[in-house]
Amino acid sequence: MGSEVMWLGLVALGGGLALALISLVYLLLRLHEAELRVRAKEAEHEGVLDRLQENEYRLRTIIESEPECVKLQAADGTVLEINPAGLRLVDAECAEDIIGKRIYDVVAPEYIGIYQENMARVFAGEAAVYEFKSITLKGRTRWMETHAVPLRDARSEVYALLGITRDITEHKWAEEQGRRHQTELARVARLSTMGEMATGLAHELNQPLAAIANFARGCIRRLRTGEVAPVELIEPLEEVCEQAERAGEIMRHARDFVRKSEPRMSAVDINQVVRSVVKFTEHEARQHETVVTLQLAPHQPRVWADSIMVEQVICNLVRNAVEAMAERHSLRREILIRTVPHGEDKIEVEVVDTGPGIDETVIDQVFDQFFTTKAEGVGMGLSISRSIVESHGGNIRAESRAGGATFRFTLQAIPVVLRKDERRYSLHS
Amino acid sequence: MSDATVFIVDDDQAVARSLRWLIETVRLKVETFASVQAFLDGYDASKPGCLVLDVRMPGMSGLDLQERLAARRMYHVPIIFITGHGDVQMAVRAVQAGAFDFVEKPFHDQDLLDRIQRAIAHDAGQRNREEQRSQLKALFASLTPREREVLDLVVEGMSNKAIANTLGLSAKTVEVHRAKVMEKMHARSISDLVKMAMQNPSVTT
Repeated sequence: MGSEVMWLGLVALGGGLALALISLVYLLLRLHEAELRVRAKEAEHEGVLDRLQENEYRLRTIIESEPECVKLQAADGTVLEINPAGLRLVDAECAEDIIGKRIYDVVAPEYIGIYQENMARVFAGEAAVYEFKSITLKGRTRWMETHAVPLRDARSEVYALLGITRDITEHKWAEEQGRRHQTELARVARLSTMGEMATGLAHELNQPLAAIANFARGCIRRLRTGEVAPVELIEPLEEVCEQAERAGEIMRHARDFVRKSEPRMSAVDINQVVRSVVKFTEHEARQHETVVTLQLAPHQPRVWADSIMVEQVICNLVRNAVEAMAERHSLRREILIRTVPHGEDKIEVEVVDTGPGIDETVIDQVFDQFFTTKAEGVGMGLSISRSIVESHGGNIRAESRAGGATFRFTLQAIPVVLRKDERRYSLHS
Repeated sequence: MSDATVFIVDDDQAVARSLRWLIETVRLKVETFASVQAFLDGYDASKPGCLVLDVRMPGMSGLDLQERLAARRMYHVPIIFITGHGDVQMAVRAVQAGAFDFVEKPFHDQDLLDRIQRAIAHDAGQRNREEQRSQLKALFASLTPREREVLDLVVEGMSNKAIANTLGLSAKTVEVHRAKVMEKMHARSISDLVKMAMQNPSVTT
């Protein structure tokens, strides 16, 4: 029994030992495993760090060699970092000239406000693109454009502004030139219209002046020879006065024509406007051997318009027709101006010529600013005409047919019922 | 006083009236027309004088009128154009197309009146020459065909004998024809006859 117990004891001991051993081995294995895992992790970490370093180096190289200014900037405007291109941009000799300083040192005073507004947007988490004028550390004035994005830290809070800035001075300058050029063109167009106006005006004024001179000289000659009774001079002298008044009327009209002010709307007899245009363009038409004929709607159709502006539109159309026919040496040079009732509440004015017509490919562009087919045109006339017609609530169209071009525009007619009370309108004119 | 008429065509009635008032001071007759068409309809080509025409006119222009008159292939009065100041192009064209003269607005009264007088004198001269030419034509027309033949040969400088040989006539007959030609043509000498023959286009062609 004793040996049996011992045996059993041994067995139990052995079992226990084995169990312990197994446990130990297991434990060791696990430990090893864990160690391996840790080791692997460590190795992994080291690789990541390497890569991070590598990446940072690469980024730094890219930024340093980037031809455009790259900078980091704090919310208060302090420059945290800037690349060499940035240093060159602000005329800094070394990094210390600008890093740690406020960016406002190189922003033109009048643009600091704009700069701060955009900075605030970036620090609020938005991207921003803005232009500003910069005064470099050496005092040069340059135009800059910055694309800025927010940089966030681990808590995803914006801690800096990353800005890429380029010098757009040349571009700005070209833009400015373009703008000046446009202004200049507009000025030339206005001057040339006034120049043409002046020619028309001179010829128009010549008439009463010539009559005055003839009447007066006739009087003087008769008085010299003494072969005239004073009473006979009354009539020619009255003619002199009338012609002087006529000259005054022409001048007043011309002054209205060049005046630049708010439209003065009144009830206008469109036929009268057409006749007035014919007078002013007569000289030019004749010089280019162009015959102008009128087909005017009866009953003096009235429109609600600024007569001078409408005159300008018709003037432009007639002048264009005259020039188009002359430039292409059209054999038949005729212009027909018609006024036609258009529906119940509109009147249409048509200017039809026998010129070369308009090329189909450009017919949609003729009303565009600076579009011209004339050798010396600036392309303002039709664009101005369109804006005038549209401001009168009408529309203007161009059509080309085999034998020439037709321009027509509509104006709001005044209903006949209203016409009875003409005084209403005379208050405005 | 001259019976010449100054024709004025101007659509501007005030200007036309003022020209009349001025031109009447030199005792010329004045007729005014308000348009080119009115002038073409009412113009009597037999009246001597001149035409004062403003190039600036709507519808048919002064230049058109000049063309129309030229197209009639008849003698017409000389035209003085009134052009706007600096309208040289127009003036040149008018003169090229046969205008007598032009005045530029504004013109001096005496200047216009002088030009009108010159135009009227030119017209009188033209009419005179025209008259002579038609008289001459009538004289030539009075000759018989045989007399015309003799005349042509005389003008060429042939002797009676040479003419007789050429035409197959006797010298005596040629002598008779020649005397008849001198008489009919009212020529006092051979040189008179030659001059007349030179002036008659039907001989020189």
